[in-house]
Amino acid sequence: MSLRQYEIMIILDPEVEERTVAPSLDKYLSVVKSDGGTVDKVDIWGRRRLAFDIKKKSEGIYAVVDFTAAPDTAKELDRQLGLNEVVLRTKVLRADAR
Amino acid sequence: MAKAIVRKPKKKQNPLKSAKIDVVDYKDTALLRKFISDRGKIRARRVTGVSVQEQRAIARAVKNAREMALLPYSSSAR
Repeated sequence: MSLRQYEIMIILDPEVEERTVAPSLDKYLSVVKSDGGTVDKVDIWGRRRLAFDIKKKSEGIYAVVDFTAAPDTAKELDRQLGLNEVVLRTKVLRADAR
Repeated sequence: MAKAIVRKPKKKQNPLKSAKIDVVDYKDTALLRKFISDRGKIRARRVTGVSVQEQRAIARAVKNAREMALLPYSSSAR
């Protein structure tokens, strides 16, 4: 199984408590660990003004996570986050591309 | 007879080189803001003075940043 390095940026609903962000991110990222990947770095930027409204929200809680996983795992993580009501938007990028 | 006017365009210094940046990251909005106009449009290469490859990387980064609401698609100015 070949693993790749990814970077995912997640925008969360600003109405969630800021201190619950880290534990809930851990929960979302559990799929990476259970599929044999690793979470390398979690960087929570905190509340930030959006350049334009997303889902009628003008703010969001930003988090950037570096992780290593198989391509299918990354896809599954993105799918699960997309189903989550609290997640406004995600973007997965290959960190090793470029 | 009027002498042909030779225009010597001033060579712009590369703003990426002066900032010592080799990978353009879409998260670096402070840098990317130098490459968009105040209306949010990506500045042309003849304005920014970067290489073709760099301009492409900048454009990609700006577009990624826009998707994540880090930069505006268009500014409300006018």
